[in-house]
Amino acid sequence: MTDQPPSDKKTPKPPADASTRASDRPTVNPPFDLEAFARSMAANPAESDPADDSSHGEAGTPTRSDRITMTDELELEVARAKSAESTQPPQPRPSGLLSIADARVPSMPAPRSLSPSSIEAAVLGALATAPGPEITERWIEDPSAEMRERFSLGDYTGALEMVELILADDPANLEAAECGENCRTVLENMYSAKLGPTDRVPMIIVPRTQMRWLSIDHRAGFILSLVDGTSSVEMVLDVSGMPRLDALRILHELVQQRIVAFR
Amino acid sequence: MEKVIGIDLGTTNSCVAIVENGVPTVIPNRGGYKTTPSMVAITEAGKRLVGHIAKRQAITNAENTVYAAKRLIGRKWSSPQVKNAVATSSYRIVQGPHADVRVVLREKEYSVSEISAMVLQEMKVIAEDYLGDPVFKTVITVPAYFNDNQRQATKDAGEIAGLDVIRIINEPTAAALSYGFGKNVEKTVAVYDFGGGTFDISILEIGSSGIFKVIATAGDTFLGGEDVDARIIDWLVHGFKEEHGIDLRQDRMALQRLKDAAEKAKCELSSVRDTEVNLPFIISSGRNEALHLQRTIDRPTLDQLSADLIQRTVDICQQTLADAHLEKRDIEEVILVGGMTRMPKIQQAVAEFFEQDPCKGVHPDECVALGAGIQGAALIDDKHEMVLLDVTPHALGIMTQGGYFEELIPQNTTVPTHRTKIFTTSRDHQTAVKIVVMQGESERAEENELLGEFILMGLRRAPKGSVEIEVTFEINADGIVSVHAKDLETSKEQSIEVTASSGLTRDEIQNMMEGAKDYMVERRSSEEFEAAKQEAERIVAEIERLLPQVEQIVATSDFGRDAIEKARAVVAKARHAVGKRDVAAIKSEIDGLSRTQRMFKGVVAKTH
Repeated sequence: MTDQPPSDKKTPKPPADASTRASDRPTVNPPFDLEAFARSMAANPAESDPADDSSHGEAGTPTRSDRITMTDELELEVARAKSAESTQPPQPRPSGLLSIADARVPSMPAPRSLSPSSIEAAVLGALATAPGPEITERWIEDPSAEMRERFSLGDYTGALEMVELILADDPANLEAAECGENCRTVLENMYSAKLGPTDRVPMIIVPRTQMRWLSIDHRAGFILSLVDGTSSVEMVLDVSGMPRLDALRILHELVQQRIVAFR
Repeated sequence: MEKVIGIDLGTTNSCVAIVENGVPTVIPNRGGYKTTPSMVAITEAGKRLVGHIAKRQAITNAENTVYAAKRLIGRKWSSPQVKNAVATSSYRIVQGPHADVRVVLREKEYSVSEISAMVLQEMKVIAEDYLGDPVFKTVITVPAYFNDNQRQATKDAGEIAGLDVIRIINEPTAAALSYGFGKNVEKTVAVYDFGGGTFDISILEIGSSGIFKVIATAGDTFLGGEDVDARIIDWLVHGFKEEHGIDLRQDRMALQRLKDAAEKAKCELSSVRDTEVNLPFIISSGRNEALHLQRTIDRPTLDQLSADLIQRTVDICQQTLADAHLEKRDIEEVILVGGMTRMPKIQQAVAEFFEQDPCKGVHPDECVALGAGIQGAALIDDKHEMVLLDVTPHALGIMTQGGYFEELIPQNTTVPTHRTKIFTTSRDHQTAVKIVVMQGESERAEENELLGEFILMGLRRAPKGSVEIEVTFEINADGIVSVHAKDLETSKEQSIEVTASSGLTRDEIQNMMEGAKDYMVERRSSEEFEAAKQEAERIVAEIERLLPQVEQIVATSDFGRDAIEKARAVVAKARHAVGKRDVAAIKSEIDGLSRTQRMFKGVVAKTH
């Protein structure tokens, strides 16, 4: 599998926290993979180039081709404009392909690197060239339409964000509940496919002395504490005490970061 | 000969044993552990978890994980122990339709016997997996202070789990059985049982010909190893809060890890002087920075944290000896039962109190189950003559005029037994009397437990006090109480067997049994599917690994290409069978897969 140039890939959108007010959200995506940049800064702040997504020189960081990237604002706008002109409804993208959006559940805090200030500087720098808040205001106006749009474009994580916004105001909204269920199913299937059979037994491959220096949050730390070399993926999911999708995503990230591997 | 298993259904952990070729043996579970946590949980996906896996998520899924069901089994909703549990348990406890107790998991109500049945079912599976044969008969142990309702509820739990409970025996008796097995012992022993959730002290006389007589028993149902774990957690939480200003108890994931680590540290300190508690990424700070907990705890610290708990056990021992009118010198042996008795400080406290070193010849975690297994073997083996003399833990009697309780059988009377007393009518021209059978130690009937009641009719119309009614209480070896009432003048009589009430009707028990059977069928079917699927996938993976090499070798011949196509077809059929979860089809495809695998291996081997 070869890396594709960054310009051919959809760059990720920063995960929007549903609880964050609109005015607190950045209004544009940086033109690079924010998460990959954060990791590379944590691993080697001097060498990382945010524009070069394939320059992951550190062991343990995923290659560009392994990652699922999200559409950016510009592409989303172009797609919306085209769909408004088109007489046919957009076809949902099949799951499992790289075109599916990154499945970060918006309600979870993003793992931070050990040097947040450098990330913030990069984001702020990117924001300086961003378009204005027009798009954000339009999303809030009609979350249901936005939810449907994101779903149809295969942005299941983004659609899930809208689902949570809608259900927070209207818990009885059946359309949102059904859409949320569908999104979770797709995302769970995607992560399950990536992790493989759930009877496989994960193991921690990072030496114990280096555990403290990993770039993970306490939820990932908890999942890691359940990996004991004898419990299968299914058992870890059963005892995680968190929604299955969250646990799958965290486990997938731990595998991606080469913290966990399978026997 | 039919097999009988002995089950120690503990408050926090259970254990199963059997006598094989004359040797009592504890049966390990699939994980290799000889004890299994007595915990049941229902996950968000509706999956039932029992044992170790339930324990691992007991805090993160606290509302839907049941622990210490033994504290509730057979009790009435109005009892103080149930009120205490309602106030302190993380899972929901509600009143059942028969003034009994129910537990709510994922919006569904379960009786306590049903929950205990799930644990017993798990122990049954452990035994069946080990023996390779179905198991039906069992002896289950209960605390010596359990009343008839609690014993009946335990029997019901066994029945729901598909077990024929041939005997209920007391835990200290089982421990003494295990201690005296194979030896010609005649001693007065103290059984000091400090388990995960409860503490019990019992004094027994072991006589010749295998006679075991429980003289006295007492304890605390809310004092156990988990209380010591809680002290360690408090200590860790306090230290972390001082350092970081964060209360780890507010986060369930952190608390789950703390609980597991505290228990592990406690166990380790039984053999080492200090141990490190290391929990990286235990919590995130307000700045989204992950924090770590790393602290060393030593034995003096643990001793200090648990000192008052240990002292409570000693105080109870003191009181029990006094109640039994015994001196310490009358105790010839002290038997330690329960995991907590591994703690050096506890062993020291017991030795100091009883003024002798406790016996270390029995395994504290296993001896009760072993004793139950020994009793089970004795019951089905006609040649074995062993007599267990137990005591009734509570006084038995009837309610009399003015709401008083008239005792017929005192507390700690050896069973089997029977006692008779003469009563009379309390009103003129009374033609019927209601015999209200009760159990307890209070003079006031309302403060004791109602076991049952019946009416003796047809009495001669006469002034009060002139009709004589003979009431006889009888308790058999199983602890079942029968009460007879007889009009001495007319010889009219009436009786009841006090079938203690567990709070479940026969129909309910039958429904629960069906539910338990269905669950087992589904589980076995699922296990069979998983095993077949894994086997098929293993062979498919091997075939696919060899396929490129084989293709290269044989691709030039028609025979080779045909073989490759057939191999692909076999793999596709196997995958299809797995997708349809068709166990029979998977098994039949495994033959074809194995042949293909052997052929591929042969082809590759020939070219190397």
